Amino acid sequence: MNASNPEIYVIAAAIVATLMPGSLHIRVNLWFYGIVTFLVAIATALTAIGHAEFGLLGVALLIAVLKAVGIPLSLLWTSGRLNVSRDKGCFLPAPLAMHSSILLLGASFFLTKDLPLPVVENGGGGWLGAAAGISLIFTGLILMLTRRLAISQILGFLIIENGIFVFALTQTRGMPLFVEMGVMLDVLVGVMIGGVLIFKIQKSFEHIDVAQLTDLRD
Amino acid sequence: MNLSIAMSVAPLLAAFISLGSRNALFTRAVVPSLFFLQIGLIAYICIPVLNGTATDLIFSEDFSIDRIGAYFLLLTNFVVACAMSHAFAFFERESALGRLDDPNHERIFYASTALFLLAMSFVFICDNLGFLWVSIEATTLFSAALVYFSRDKHALEATWKYLIVCSVGIAFALLGTVLIFASSQHGAVPDGSLNIRVLIAHANMLQPKLLQLGYIFCLLGYGTKAGVAPLHSWLPDAHSEAPAPASAMLSGALLNCALYAIWRVTELMNLTPHHTLSTSLPIIWGAITALVASLVLVHQSGIKRLWAYSSIENVGIMLVAIGMSSPLLFFLQALNHSVAKVCLFLISGNIIQTTGTKELAHIHGVLKTSPVWGILFAIAALAVTGAPPFGAFICEWMILSKGADAHSWIAVIMLIIALTLSFIAVSVHVGKILLGTPKQSMIAPRSFGTSFIPFVLCVCALLLGVTFVPSLLVNPL
Repeated sequence: MNASNPEIYVIAAAIVATLMPGSLHIRVNLWFYGIVTFLVAIATALTAIGHAEFGLLGVALLIAVLKAVGIPLSLLWTSGRLNVSRDKGCFLPAPLAMHSSILLLGASFFLTKDLPLPVVENGGGGWLGAAAGISLIFTGLILMLTRRLAISQILGFLIIENGIFVFALTQTRGMPLFVEMGVMLDVLVGVMIGGVLIFKIQKSFEHIDVAQLTDLRD
Repeated sequence: MNLSIAMSVAPLLAAFISLGSRNALFTRAVVPSLFFLQIGLIAYICIPVLNGTATDLIFSEDFSIDRIGAYFLLLTNFVVACAMSHAFAFFERESALGRLDDPNHERIFYASTALFLLAMSFVFICDNLGFLWVSIEATTLFSAALVYFSRDKHALEATWKYLIVCSVGIAFALLGTVLIFASSQHGAVPDGSLNIRVLIAHANMLQPKLLQLGYIFCLLGYGTKAGVAPLHSWLPDAHSEAPAPASAMLSGALLNCALYAIWRVTELMNLTPHHTLSTSLPIIWGAITALVASLVLVHQSGIKRLWAYSSIENVGIMLVAIGMSSPLLFFLQALNHSVAKVCLFLISGNIIQTTGTKELAHIHGVLKTSPVWGILFAIAALAVTGAPPFGAFICEWMILSKGADAHSWIAVIMLIIALTLSFIAVSVHVGKILLGTPKQSMIAPRSFGTSFIPFVLCVCALLLGVTFVPSLLVNPL
C-alpha cells in the first residue's frame, strides 16, 4: 500500500471517527469531524486523480471547503452562541460508547469481506473501503444513540452521511455527478435547517437537550 | 420545451407569488388556482399514457412517466390543490381567532407548499434512483416548514423529530441506492447506471448480493419516510402538530410518494431471479404495520393522532399490495385513502379551530354543533375504514383474496384482524366525537368555505366506490 491509495485515508477516517463517541466535548468532536471529513476529501481527490475524473475533483474540493471546514465552523459558532460546550450523554457512558464503536469497526471488516469486490479499472477500491464506510455508519449511529444535544445528533447524521459517501467512493466507479451534487445540496440544506431549529429549540425550551423533548407521546 | 420543466412552472410561480405578495387574500386565492391549473396541464401532458396510446412518456434520459406514475401525479396534485383551497377558509378563521400574528409565517407556508408539491411531482417522473432519492429528501426539507407552522414548543419538537428521523432513514435509502448502482457494475452495465429503465433491461445480470442488500436498505429508508412500523415515530407527531391543510397533504400525498419509491425498487427486484425477497418482505412488513397501527388506534387521545395512525394502517395495506406486485391495487388503495383522509384532516382542523382542543376527551356533539361537518365526517370515516359502498372496501377485499390465492395466510389473518380492529376503534372514537353534548359552548361558523372541499371529497369518495373502482377492476389499467 502506498500513500496515494485512497483506502489508507478512508480507513484512517474510520479510525479517527471511532474516537468521537469517547468525547463529550462538542469542540473536540467538531475537530474530529473536520479531520474525518478532510481525510475523506483527500481520498476523493486521490480517486479522482487515479481515474482521471475531474468532476470528482470538484466534489473533493467542495467536501474539503464546505463539509470539512464550513460545517464544523458554523456548528462551533452555534455552540458558542448557545453557550454549550459539553454533552451529558445518555444510554451508554462515553468510554463504553467508544469501545463499542471500535468493536463495530472490527465487525465491519467481517461484514464486508464477503461483498463482491468492486469492478475498478485502475486498481484502488477493495473491501477495506467498504469496511471503512460501514464502520463510519455504525459510529454515526452510536453517536446519535448516545448523545443528548441537538448539535451532537447533527454530527452523528453527518458521520453516517460520510460513511455512505465513502462506501460509494470505494465500491462504485463514477456515480453520476449530478446525483452526488444533489445529495450534497440536500445534506447541506438539511444541516442548515437543523442549525436554525437548534436556535429555536434553545429559545423555546432554554436548552438543546433533545432527550428532554418528550411532550408528544401516545 | 422539456415537459419536466413545463411541469415546474406553476409550482415555482406559486412559490414566487407567495413570497412576493403582501396581500394574504390574493395569495390564498391564486396559489390553489395555480395548482388546479397544474392538474389540467399534467392531464394534458399525460394524455398519451392515460388513454393507453403509449406505455410511457419519455421527457429526457432520466425523466419519464408511465400510467401508474401519471395517476399518482394527478392524485398528488389534486390532494394539494384541495388542501390549499380549504386553506383559504382555514387561515381566514385562524386570522379571525388572532392566531396569525406574523404574516411571514403564512407566506413561508404557501411558498414551502409550492416547493413541496414540486419535489413530490418529481418523485413520479424520476427514472433514476439517484434523482428519486434527491426528490424524496427534498420533500422532507420543504415539508419541515409546514410542520413548524405554529412555531410553538410542540410544533418544534415534532419538526425536529421529523427532520432527524426521516433524514437518517432516507440516508439508508441512499446506501441502498449506492448498492444497487454497484450491483449494476458487475457485468450488466460496466459504467454502472441508476437509470431504472436501464436497470430493468439488465435485471437478470445485476449482482445478486449487492442488489438484495440494496433493496433491503431502500425498503428500510423509504419505509421510514412512509411511516412503516416500527419506524413510524415521527408520523403521528408531525401529522398532529402541522396545521390541518398540511396534515392532509402529508397524509394524502407525501406517504404515497415514499410508497411509490418503494414500488419502483420492488418493480426492479421483481424482474430479477431474486424476487422472493421483494414479494415476501413487503407483504409481511405491511401486514405487521397494519396490525400495530390498528392496535395503537384503540387508545388514541388526539383527534389528528387518530387519523395519523389510521394512515399508518393504510400504508401497511398499500405495502402489502406492493408486495403482491399489483400496482393497480396499490394505486386504488392510495386513491381511496387519500381522498377520504384529506377530508377527515380538513374537518378535524375545523373542529379543532372551533373547540380549541385536539383532545378526543373534550370533543363531543359535533353533529349538534354543525350537522354538515358531522355528516361529512361520518361519511369520510366510513370511507377510510373500508366500509361498503366506498372504494377502499373493494380494494381491501381484492388484496385479501389475492393474498389468500397466494396462500399468504399469516399476512391475510393479520390484515383481517387489523381491518376489524381499526373499524371498531375508528367507529367508537367517531361516535364519541359526533354524539353527546358539546362540553364547551362551541359555535361553528356558518361558512360555506369550511365545508365545500370536504363535501367535494366525500362525493368523490362515494363516486370512487360505486363507479370508478369497480370499472377499473373490470377493465384494468
